[in-house]
Amino acid sequence: MMNSPGKNKELHDLLNTLLKESSARTVLLISKEGVCIDETGDTSYINTTALGALVAGMFSATREVARMVGEDQFSILLQQGEKRHIHVSLLAQSFMMVVIFEDLQAIGRVRYESNKVAEKVVHCLRRDPRDGGRDAEQLSVPDFREYALNLIDRIFHS
Amino acid sequence: MAYINYDNKEIAFKIVYFGPGMSGKTTNLLHVHKALTGHTRSEMVVLDTEEERTLFFDFIPLELGMVEGFALRFNLYTVPGQIHYEATRQLILEGADGVVFVADSRPTEGERNLESFRLMINNLLYYREDPTDFPLVLQYNKRDCERPISTNSIQNELKTGPITCTEAVATRGLGVMETLRDVSRMTVRRFQL
Repeated sequence: MMNSPGKNKELHDLLNTLLKESSARTVLLISKEGVCIDETGDTSYINTTALGALVAGMFSATREVARMVGEDQFSILLQQGEKRHIHVSLLAQSFMMVVIFEDLQAIGRVRYESNKVAEKVVHCLRRDPRDGGRDAEQLSVPDFREYALNLIDRIFHS
Repeated sequence: MAYINYDNKEIAFKIVYFGPGMSGKTTNLLHVHKALTGHTRSEMVVLDTEEERTLFFDFIPLELGMVEGFALRFNLYTVPGQIHYEATRQLILEGADGVVFVADSRPTEGERNLESFRLMINNLLYYREDPTDFPLVLQYNKRDCERPISTNSIQNELKTGPITCTEAVATRGLGVMETLRDVSRMTVRRFQL
């Protein structure tokens, strides 16, 4: 299944470029809180929500390992499997770009292409997401709270 | 602080279940997963050891619906209760918007509750959260045990001041949704852009 582009087309195009240039199967962008921000490629075989939480946890754990050996952070993680492999790069200490690929010999290209788009992705992410958009203006916090509280009462009942 | 994605129009809150080992944190999540139906719940991720004790964390994403054009999501996590997983506990608490402390009401568990509660407070302080102004619900679980501890024992011992408390028997689902509702309400009330 190919995913349709999100609202941030520039960001989605960058992930698409990475997907194509590295011949990967899937590319995901995950926040350090574990939220999947964008995805492209075939995602039919994975639960991207769960994967987001797990990758974020994995990266947090790895950061502690890095500190133990005198590093601030390991910027890249590689998990090698039988058929599929995962390359994770840490972006701006807050985001993780996950590339799932099947040809292990393409690891060099995956690393090169990930590195190539990383700065542009960070640039996209660093822009205030509210710039130029009306969504933030339209989100009324008092109304949001009121409707959210109603929803909570309706769904989380005993 | 809640995660807001303006592109995907999504607002996500992170709720963490904290407490001593075997107090019933995973059981709480299992009941939530069982109680919710349809599009609200997703697959639950459980990472446990061979002894069925949480090794890394359990995770369940809940999608409540659309609010003001944004999808409202609550991501529930547990931390491992066992004392030697302190590093993992601290990591999972990072970015939490609300915490449920699951205390074990058995009279033999008083000291372990206190020790775990102190750790939670220290972890919140580590992330520069003011524990007195943070969405926190103290759930006294296992209320069906013999001679359960009083529901203000932790507050009195640690002189915490008032904390929202619930009573639960998570194995039977009693008090689980009330706890989730209370912590979710507190979290949403604190929401700001």
